[in-house]
Amino acid sequence: MRASPFPGLQTGFPGDRPETAFRTGQLHLTEVTLHLLLQKVAREDRAAFREVYRISAPKLTGVLTRMLRDRTEVEDALQDVYIRVWQRAAQFDSARGAAMGWLVTIARNAALDRLRARPEARGLTQATARADMAEDDPVARLPAPGPGAEAQMQARDVARRIVACFGELEDDRAAAIRGAYLQGFSYQELAERHDVPLNTMRTWLRRGLLRLKECLDR
Amino acid sequence: MSDPTRPDDPAFEEQDELLAAEYVLGTLPGAERARVRQRAEVDGAFAALIRTWEARLAPLNDSYDDAPAPDLLPQIEARLFADLDAAPSQPARRGWFGLGWIGAGAISAVLAAVAVFFVLTFTPPGPAPAILQAELSTEDADLRFAARFDSSTGLLEISRAAGDAAPTGQDYELWAIDAEGVPRSLGLLRAPLEQVQTALVAGITLAVSLEPEGGSPEPAPTGPVLAVAALAEI
Repeated sequence: MRASPFPGLQTGFPGDRPETAFRTGQLHLTEVTLHLLLQKVAREDRAAFREVYRISAPKLTGVLTRMLRDRTEVEDALQDVYIRVWQRAAQFDSARGAAMGWLVTIARNAALDRLRARPEARGLTQATARADMAEDDPVARLPAPGPGAEAQMQARDVARRIVACFGELEDDRAAAIRGAYLQGFSYQELAERHDVPLNTMRTWLRRGLLRLKECLDR
Repeated sequence: MSDPTRPDDPAFEEQDELLAAEYVLGTLPGAERARVRQRAEVDGAFAALIRTWEARLAPLNDSYDDAPAPDLLPQIEARLFADLDAAPSQPARRGWFGLGWIGAGAISAVLAAVAVFFVLTFTPPGPAPAILQAELSTEDADLRFAARFDSSTGLLEISRAAGDAAPTGQDYELWAIDAEGVPRSLGLLRAPLEQVQTALVAGITLAVSLEPEGGSPEPAPTGPVLAVAALAEI
């Protein structure tokens, strides 16, 4: 169990339920509900907008916290994110992807814009605070195979594929790509963490990404 | 060895692919990031590369845990709606999304006019029976269902337009989801064409989930929701 980055803010949210099967059902229902709500937000429905916030803010706070690691900045970014959600809801195309995925993309982009706007201030806090790379293995997030888990496994087909494709990469390169995506590390930070020259890191990642593409599109 | 200065060099084509991937991954420096975003706004093919990379890497999103969220709705709504609430009757001050309203209004007006025309021209005396339709498709369109509901008879017909029956030991289950997001099971979809006697209205969403044989043990889907679509009048 990872400690909360905001120890003072333990209010308890839905989603902390231990029963995996129930949670999975909830998650799919959440996705359907978000689809509907975003369509309403696109028609400027404020009640639907509040509901979108209630449902998705814990996840997006998780994204922003992991990337920004600064409570004040997380709160500022969270406001920016939902303002964009309101303004762009009409652009949400349900045929193109998951509703939560769309929201996470907006949150990641908001965090990345902030991270790249503060080039030097990051080094110190990250070197000490970010020891959780080893936990990033998506394999660990997959439901345990077993009787009854078949349906969930099927839903996780795409996830399993990316896990398999990450498995084809060298460990340190896969870790670098995950660190970049999940925590927003820059090339400079990745080079320092992996103790390789910056150009080497860029080459690693670019080759890794192309191999990932080749594997996923296979 | 190919000449890297030649534009038909395959490496040349790869540059856009890599740039889109690095943008989605987030590793680009701020200035380059801004340039990529500007280009994506005007270059549809490049924007499509970005969207494809977003989809490729999206499974990693599962690795983000929920965190306790502060309630910032009052601040957000104040930023979004302060202007609107101050001048609700002046469309000019609505900002850019005011255009969406006008567009939607114009489209609704046209649709209403067309509907009136059809009602006046073709409807026999008596209440107009409404036919509602929805096409439910998985993301890759490997599995598609077409739903048709006749409000005069209360009969919902749903046919599997593409794809196979559910795998052995599993069933497709059909759900109606109301505006509050509350699901109601409409039964299992085993045959290529199923008929259900029920009450539905336009705007209700139909969803198909993959469940254990016999259907979900819960009052809501427990398996993955494969396809979702809103019922709309034709």
